[in-house]
Formats: sequence, C-alpha cells, structure tokens
Amino acid sequence: MAGLELLSDQGYRLDGRKATELRKVQARMGVFAQADGSAYLEQGNTKALAVVYGPHEVRGARSRSRHDRAMINCQYSMATFSTAERKRRPHGDRKSTEMSLHLKQTFEAAVMTQLYPRSQIDIFVKILQSDGGNYSVCVNAATLAMIDAGIPMRDYVCACTVGFVDETPLADLCYAEEGGGVSSLALALLPRGGQIALLQMDARLHQDHLEALMEAAMTACKGVSKVLDEVVRLHLQEVSVLSAE
Amino acid sequence: MIKTERVLHLKSCRGRKVRVVREHYLRERVPCYSALCAAGCDNRDGKVLPGDLTHYVVPDVGVVVDYLEVLEVRELQGIVFTQTACQALQHAKGRRQYNRLRNLLKDPRHDCVLFTNEFQEYSYCPREKGESQDQWQTRCVYSAAVWYYNHLAGMKDVVMITEDREAVAQYGSLNSGVYVISVRDFLLNFWPELQAAHELYSSVSLALQEKESEVSEREYAEHLPAEVLEAGIKSGRYIQGTLNISKHRAHSEASITAEGLSNKNSDLSWGVLVSGAKNRNRAVHGDVVAVELLPRSEWRGKDTALTEGRGEEAGGEDGGRKPMPTGRVVGVLQRNWRDYVVTFPPREGPPPQSRNSQRILAVPWDHRIPKIRISTQQADALQDHRVVVRIDSWESTSLYPNGHSVRVLGRAGELETEVQTVLIENCIHVPPFSDAQLKEMPVNCPERPWAVDPAQVAQRRDLRDSHLVFSIDPPGCEDVDDALSVRSLAGGARLELGVHIADVTHFVAEGSLTDLEARTRATTYYLADRRYDMLPAVLSADLCSLLGGVDRYAMSVMWELDAQTLSVVRVWYGRTLIRSSYQLHYQLAQALLDGEPAEVPELAGLGSEERGGELARLTGALETLTRVARNLRAQRNRGGALELEGVEVRAQLDEERNITALVPRQPLEVHETVAECMIYANHWVARKIQESFPHQALLRRHPPPRQEFFSQLVDTAAARGFSVDTRTNKALADSLDRAEDPRDPLVNRLLRIMATTAMSQALYFSTGLQAQDQFYHYGLALDRYTHFTSPIRRYADILVHRLLAAAIAVDRGSDPGGAVASNKELEETARHINTKNRAAQRAQKSSTELFQCLYFKDRDPQSDQRCVADAVVYSIRDNGVLVFVPEYGVKGPVYMKNREGEVAAVGQDGRCTWQSGAVQRHSDRITTTSGCGSATFRLFDHITVRISVRSTHCHADALVLDLVVNGPHRRAAEPSAPPPRSQGRSSQLVREVVRQAEEASQQAQEKEARRPELSREEREFSQTKTPNLYSLLEEVRELALLDPDGVSRLCASTA
Repeated sequence: MAGLELLSDQGYRLDGRKATELRKVQARMGVFAQADGSAYLEQGNTKALAVVYGPHEVRGARSRSRHDRAMINCQYSMATFSTAERKRRPHGDRKSTEMSLHLKQTFEAAVMTQLYPRSQIDIFVKILQSDGGNYSVCVNAATLAMIDAGIPMRDYVCACTVGFVDETPLADLCYAEEGGGVSSLALALLPRGGQIALLQMDARLHQDHLEALMEAAMTACKGVSKVLDEVVRLHLQEVSVLSAE
Repeated sequence: MIKTERVLHLKSCRGRKVRVVREHYLRERVPCYSALCAAGCDNRDGKVLPGDLTHYVVPDVGVVVDYLEVLEVRELQGIVFTQTACQALQHAKGRRQYNRLRNLLKDPRHDCVLFTNEFQEYSYCPREKGESQDQWQTRCVYSAAVWYYNHLAGMKDVVMITEDREAVAQYGSLNSGVYVISVRDFLLNFWPELQAAHELYSSVSLALQEKESEVSEREYAEHLPAEVLEAGIKSGRYIQGTLNISKHRAHSEASITAEGLSNKNSDLSWGVLVSGAKNRNRAVHGDVVAVELLPRSEWRGKDTALTEGRGEEAGGEDGGRKPMPTGRVVGVLQRNWRDYVVTFPPREGPPPQSRNSQRILAVPWDHRIPKIRISTQQADALQDHRVVVRIDSWESTSLYPNGHSVRVLGRAGELETEVQTVLIENCIHVPPFSDAQLKEMPVNCPERPWAVDPAQVAQRRDLRDSHLVFSIDPPGCEDVDDALSVRSLAGGARLELGVHIADVTHFVAEGSLTDLEARTRATTYYLADRRYDMLPAVLSADLCSLLGGVDRYAMSVMWELDAQTLSVVRVWYGRTLIRSSYQLHYQLAQALLDGEPAEVPELAGLGSEERGGELARLTGALETLTRVARNLRAQRNRGGALELEGVEVRAQLDEERNITALVPRQPLEVHETVAECMIYANHWVARKIQESFPHQALLRRHPPPRQEFFSQLVDTAAARGFSVDTRTNKALADSLDRAEDPRDPLVNRLLRIMATTAMSQALYFSTGLQAQDQFYHYGLALDRYTHFTSPIRRYADILVHRLLAAAIAVDRGSDPGGAVASNKELEETARHINTKNRAAQRAQKSSTELFQCLYFKDRDPQSDQRCVADAVVYSIRDNGVLVFVPEYGVKGPVYMKNREGEVAAVGQDGRCTWQSGAVQRHSDRITTTSGCGSATFRLFDHITVRISVRSTHCHADALVLDLVVNGPHRRAAEPSAPPPRSQGRSSQLVREVVRQAEEASQQAQEKEARRPELSREEREFSQTKTPNLYSLLEEVRELALLDPDGVSRLCASTA
C-alpha cells in the first residue's frame, strides 16, 4: 500500500497548501465572562479553548508555593468528540499529562512570574476538535487567554509544528501529515527576541537538516505571532469602544 | 486562499468506517504552464506547453488509468493531466504506475504538464450528495478543461478525451471551445497518420475487453491484502524478497533472495526455494514477493544434474540435494514487469472464421517468463514474428497472464530482429538522437569550423606551448578521451606527469537534453557488430576527442613527482587547453621505446636533424612515463592488486577481437603504462572529490568476495595439486601466480576465470551511504577509486568531472552552487548506472552468443572441420562435465549420459559412442562404464567436442557440445599456437555472419521493396568500434568475468 504523497512534484501538500503556508488561523478573546481570561482559537480544523484563572493565592498544598514567583498550573484535555472516533479520555491519560507539563514549562518561560510571588496561575486548555498540531494550538490559545487575563508576559508565545519531507520543511502540519511518518518538531518561540521557550522532537532526523527545520519553524512562529497580534489589537479596539460608550 | 472542507469516508485500521474531514485550500493562482498564458501565471519551474499547437488535450480519469501507454507516445503533444486523474491513477494502479506518470511529466522531451485543478478556485467542484465517484471525477476534469479554455481567453481549443459515452453526450455541447470526444475519435481526427498510437490503442482496449469477459474458475490462491503482508513481514511470519526464477528449470524452480536475512537466520542465508507454479502463485521473475515457509517435512533440495533444458548449473556444489527452506508465495508486494519480447507461434489448423480478434498464447524469449495471452486481430500477420508485449494483469482465475502487444520487431531468426530482441530484453532503449538534442551540439563543419572561445582561453591553463602532450591508442582510433604528458621541472629534481581527459562536461551542460539522454543511456553499448554511442558523434568523435594537432579543452590532473623516489610532491587539478602533438598507436610507441626504427607520421615533414631532436624528446618522455608506471604498478602489487586481467583477458579477447581485430595478441608494456596512468588519475580524482564532498562524491568500490564462492576454485585447483589461498587479495594473487602448470597454460587461465567468477561486482556508489572502510577496491587494491578517464562513453565519468569542477571551485573560494547533487540523488543515479552497466554487459554477452550461433548454424557439424574443437574440462557434474573451448571462447556442458540412459563409451582409438552403461561421479573425475570398458574424465583433461546449434523457435539458439574423442583435438597439437589462428577465426566469424545477413537482407529487399524502416535506421546508426586499449581492456575485463553459469551472482569486474 503506497503511503500518501505528502508533497507533490508541483509543491502542493495534501490540502493544497505550499510548504511554508500556515493553516487558516481564527481566534476570539474573552469568550467567557466568569474566568479571568479566555480565548478560542481555530487553526485549520484544530479547535481549542483556553481559560486562565489568576493570579490568585495558592490553593491546596501550601508547600508548593514559591516565595519569589508565581506557580503555574496547567491542565490539558481533549474532548471526547474531538477525534474521528469517539474515545473517552479519563484524566491521567499519559499523553495529556505530558502535554500539560510541556505547557507549564512553556509558560514558565514566558510569564513574568516574579511579579506575583506566593501566588498561582491556572491555565486550562481543551481541544474541541483535533486535526494535528494540538500542542501549538494550545499554546497559541493560552497566550491569548493570558493576554485577556492581563497577566504580564515577556512576549507572545507562539508555537508551530514543522515536519520534514523530501528535504523540504513543511510548516504547520495537519493530522494526515503528522501520521504520515514525518519527523516533526514543535517549537514555541518568543518572536520578538527570538528566544525559544520550548523545543520538542521525538523522531529521527539527520543533524544536517536540523538547522533548516528550525529556521522554518521560527518563520512559521513569527507568522503566527502576526495573526495573534492582529487578534489582540482588534479585541482591544472592540473593548475600548465598548468602555468608551 | 480560501478554505473549504472535504469529507472523506475512510476505513480505519480496524476496518470500521470513519468519517474524516480534511481541509482543502483553494487559490486563484495556479500555474497553467502554457506559453499562451496572458494572466501572468508563474510558469517558471517546469515545462511549458508550446503555443503553436492546434489544441490541448485533457484526458479523462478513465483514459489516464487505462490508456496511459497511449498517452506516452511522444508524438502526442499538448497533454494536460489533471490532478484528479493523477490521484485516481495512484489509487487504482499503485505507486509504480503513478511514478511512471510522474517521470513522464518530468521528462522534458515529452510535451505534457500537470494542472492541479483541485486547488484552483474556479476549476474545483466539490462532490455533491449522491454523486458517484466516476461522475464527480468526470465533472472535475471537464471543469478543468473549461477553465483552461477560459484562462487562455479562448485562444486555444481544448479537447477532453474520455471513454465514457455518457460523458460525451452530457458535456459534448455545453461549451463552444471545449470538445468532449472519445479516444478513438480523437486519434482518428487529430492523429490519423500516427499508426503506432492507433495500434497501441486497439491492443490495449482489446486487452481490457478480455479482462472483463474472464471466466471465474480459480487456478491460483488469492494474494493476501497489503496490510496483512506488511504486518506478516514485520512479525517475521512471511519473508520478503525478490523472486529469482532458475534459468534451467524455469517451470519448477525459483528462489527468493531476501535482503538482510543472513544475519538473522543462517538457515535462510542461501535463500528460500519456491518450487512449482502453484507455489509461485503468479509471481513473475523479478517481482518483490512475500513468501510463507512450508513445514520442514515439505522442504526440498535443488537439482544438480545437468538438464537438457539449457545446460549449466548455478552454484551446484556438492550436497546440493540437501533440503533447503521451501516456501510459497502469498502476495506480491511490487510487480516488476517490463517489456517482454515474445514470439507468435505458427498456427496449426485452419483459421477461425467469424471472429475478428483471437487470443494467442505467445512464448516469451526469456525462459523465465510464463507464456502471455494476447488478444489481437493480427494473429495471422504476426506468425513467427517477434513482438514486444506488456503484461496487463494476472487474475487468480487464469493460468497465464494477459498482455497486449506494443510493437513488432520482425521475423524471428533475422539478424536485425535478434539484435533488437537482445536490446529490449536487457531494457536498453537507444533511439536515434533527436533533432532537439542535436541542435544543442556545437557545429564543426568545413563551412563553420569550431574554434576555441577566447573567454575559455582566459579561464583555462594553457598547455599548448609549454607541454608535450601525446596520446597512445589503437591505430585508427576516433574517440581519444585521454592524453598524457611528462616533463622534468626544477632542473631535473622534479618530474611533472599529466593526464588529460576530454572535457565533455564543457559541452554537455547539466540538465540539457543531451545530458538527460546520456544519463538514460548511462554508457555506450557495444554489441558484437555495432555500437550505440552515449553522446552524439559530433562530440564523441570530434570536439571531445583529443586529436593530434588541434586545440581541445581538457580536464587535467598533474602530479609533481620527486625525480628520484617518484613520491608525489604536489597535485594540481583543473581545466586546461591542450594541443596533442602526437597521436601514437601502441605498436609505434613500443617500437620507439625499444629503440627500433619507427616512422612517426607527425614528423614526416621535418628535416632529418629536426626530426632526430623531436624524436629524442618524444622517446625520452615515453621512457620516463614507463619508469613511473612501473613504479606505480609495483606499489599496487605490494598492496595486493589482483592480476586477473593478465592472462584471462587475453582468453576472452578472442570474443572481443570480433569487434576490433586490431589488438595485438602479445600485450605490450606500453599498454600497461597507459592503463596504470589512468588508474592513478582515477585514484587521485577519487581522493580529491571524496575529501571535498565527503557525503556526496561518486566513487567505485569493489567489495571483497564471499569466501564461500571460492570453494569451487580451491577444490578444482587441489585436483591439480595447487593450493589457493583466498584470505586476502594479496594471498590470492600470489597463489594464482604459483598455480602455473608448465605443460598446460590453460590450467592457469581457467583458474583465473574461476577466481573472477567468485568476485563480487564493482559498483558505483555515493560516499554518503557507506562507511569509509567500505570504499576499498579489492581488485586494484586502492582505498578509493572512481571512474574519471572515459567521459565520452561512461556517464559516471561525466558526474565525476562535474564533482571535480565543483571541488576546484570550492578551493578557489567560490560557491559550487547547485552543481553538487545531494547524497540521495547521487545514490539514485549510481544505482541507475549500475543497472545499465549490468544490462550493457548482458547485452554484449548475448549478442556474442548470438553471433556464435549464427556462425555455426549454417555449417554441417558432421562434415565441417571448423565445428570440431579442443575443449578443457573445468567442472564435474552428476551426468556430465562443463568444458571450455578456448578456440571460440565458448563454455558449455558435455553430457556423459543422454536421455535414453546411454553413456558415452570410449573405444580403443578414443572415439566415443553411445552405449548402455553407468556413470559414476567423484569429486575430481567422472567415470563411465559400459560394454567396452570404462573411461575416466578428469578435471583439466583435454577432450575433443563437436559444436552444433540447437535451434529453438521462440528462444535464443544455443550451442550444443558433443563428445567426439576422449583426448586433445589433433589440430591443437600443431606447432603453431592456436591463439593467432583463433584471432583470425573469430573476427572472420563476425564478418562472415554480417555478410550473410546483409546478403539475405539484400535479397529480401529485392523481393519486397518495403522493408521495415527500423532496420535501415539501425544499420545507418551502427558504427565500428574503435576505442583505445585501456577502454577496451576495461570493457573486456567486465565481459570476461561473466561466467554463463553465474548470472545469479553476477560476476565481478575488477575495474
């Protein structure tokens, strides 16, 4: 059985994009009133909801609190209806735990936690529909939610997955591409300074190709940041118009 | 970009239906690849359809899937393939067919483009509810055709061709400029004169009809689905490998050569046997299959007896009967069907009346291919003709595969037909160079003589005045691709040795049509009576040939050597401009070296004083060269270089001399001198490119042989009391030198032939794919080696030239740019060249055999003295012996026991007769016992055989050797050594055969004025072969190592 041809000779991918093109990103901030911050983000057919509470005092075990900075608590989950086949995912799913940990590390690097000692910030992310690039969509959604909540960050955190096919880096993989035996790399970037918040890869890749792949990932992340910035500005405009009235 | 969604229903891994939603992005700008485009499409990368056609053709999905072959006809122009059709093809026919289409789209000689209609905003149509897939695809293709028409603003009519009548009715009259017609109408209206396409079309459509009307009676087990096979192979339940059908027992025996099994399971290291047609389950020779092992109780062994079928036995060691793993084919992973040559059988009985098409079972030329069922309307016309066919399918309900004919080669038995057969069976396609290719070539004719470009003079190092450059080749050589120079520097303390190779890459730009054609051919093909050049003649015989007295571009390697120790001080690589002063030939050069009086034509016009000075200069240069070469040779010998070519090439030169008849019997020292310089240049270039491009240099390696293969050699040598040490190449070379029988020089020759049979084959490879210790060249005892010195006739050398040029550019600090291919591309090219080289060798061998058979065909073996010859026994089998006939260079079996069970009895005078008796085989002899006593045949015994031809109708003719006298042939005892005679004899052999064929064809021409176009073209195209000796030696060496009984482990070539 022949595998799918991920990149045609004409340079088109399965869904008609070129190698460097991102999926369509649409987002809204402030979708819930009761949380401190919230955002809904679609990247292609992957849809995620992010909610932020805090900063507030540490709940539960006091011992976890840090005297010099805020603690970040992340929880990632997928809706049972998010994939083609319905599947119940009780908490403690290994993949979700790992993803939660990754999100936590990402945001610890971006949020200015030292401003809120002995407090806690909660980030909850839910994937409503999954079509590849779950991690990066979660990061992007959570960034918007953080901004909505007004928590100071060093920069937007923008994430993107890239894959490597036929000596060409592909930006923003969809589910079919992720499953097609591509070695993929996830990168979370603070675009203005070009600092890397998280870099994750669990496939084999020749060392020579890594640089090209990183380069593509950074470009893609910067593209995402532009979109997010527009969303934030638009939201601010709406909010300021409302408050002016 | 606009985002839409596409809903697909797919099967999940557990077989459940899953609804999958995929994104689908549309864009307005999709390149149309038409020269007429006024909308500013980005047509830069890729081919562009010319604007001067009458129409563009958009084939429907069904047409692409079923009639791709017809669309491959190069005369059909302006084809627009739609993405819809391509995907359908991939889905319906698999990766192989799809790749074929991709290659078609990439081929610049073919006028077709791919339009990604499903990503174009206005040509995409989403599938509607309740619409069948076929309807939707037709609609997509039609809307793409309409888009094309509108996009080009109605300037070009668009024809959509389909096999679906409803589509013609539905869409035919919707738009004015877009026509929808059937393929048949299309061919009739637009290409009425294109006979080839018409025939191909009817042949394919008949084959399709045939398939529909199949009866369902199961002959074979069904193949398992791909997922099951994949899982089974992973879990180790099935074994994956290439099916290799035995040449001698094609009906019953086949084996699987599996990759990477030997380390896991020693039982399977010799492969898996597949016995019988049922177990083979419709797999054809060369297919990649999955086999399931049968229980141990059903395991069998291979036969080691000689069979009447074809003769020799592959790898029949002692104890070959012991059971080996046996299995059955459960699925085919990859079909490797190629074009096959078949012969239409003569019809028996009266012709059938009312039917206009008949099914014919045609017999392939290759024994290993099953009969192919073809339905054709020309069955009567094609009787006894050889025809190229392709296999379409092989259903489990059918005993034989279905196929269709592609083109007719000619009547069986005619020389032209047979030569074409040899070419096609080896997958060699050598059409004449097209006009477009020849247009790229520089012109050199009396009216417009080619001249050196001043810009090039500035870039190149000019050696015209500073160096004495000369070439040494066989007399009358046209394509001189190497020249030499030597001079002393720094007051005699240093020597400068230069090897100058024709700069082919200057004329053949990468990616040009000539380059593509050369890459496809990969090498110049030498057949017994003709050759097919890799490059057009204007390059190979003129502008790239380093002729005497004219300015030529060259690629040079120059060493500065210490004059005393001859160690290398400095190496220089670069492009140069040279003018060869002397175009010597070997005898002349040797005569100069020996101090004999010789006439150098270049000096004829000079006064005697001047002549003496020039002659002294030239002779001095030759002497220095010889000294250097001796030193180099000694160095390599210390490293363990094998002198396999020494004796044994001469043995095989009998065959090769067919072609030139120019090479002297006694190799002169100057031959070795030139060869040594070339090896040295190859070695240093290999070092250079490997150091500059450690991951993407093209080198040639010769892996050490597997020790098991030497067992026959060791045993045979032991029969004569020689011990052969095969542990290293040095030990082998030394022990072969010692194994010299003073009474019989043939012993050493045969041992060397056996040693070369055991060698593995030298291969091109990309350095990125092998560890550095694998680069070793076993035969030449060099750590790195490549081919650099014959770019006119080998594509590998052209690649190496490009690499070297890029390496020089890197040294200068400039960027080589895209000049260097990536490791992956290079490996792919290397594999292609390796395959083509092997095909070229096989073609050369079969054409030689063809000529041998043609030679003996018209002679009466009973009366003609030439059919009786001396032969040497070199291997013992159960019911006969294998012999080598030095006079004709023929190897073959001699039976001691015939079909009736009678054995060869030897009378008092040594004459042999058939009588009833018994045969007993020992390790070094075979004994026949009959009424009149017993006779013994030992290894290396000389016997006399009679050569006759066994004609078969459908296959290649074969030579049959019959025992006449148990003792040397009387003529062999004559004082004059046989070799010189055999030289005359063999070249005479080819000449005679060619003359006969020409006479026959003349008669045929007189009889019927219309002879096939093809043969005349081919005759025009054939040329005599005049390579230099080095190339000849190499050619021959590759040929020499081919042993007829070892195709499965293809022989080695030491270069």
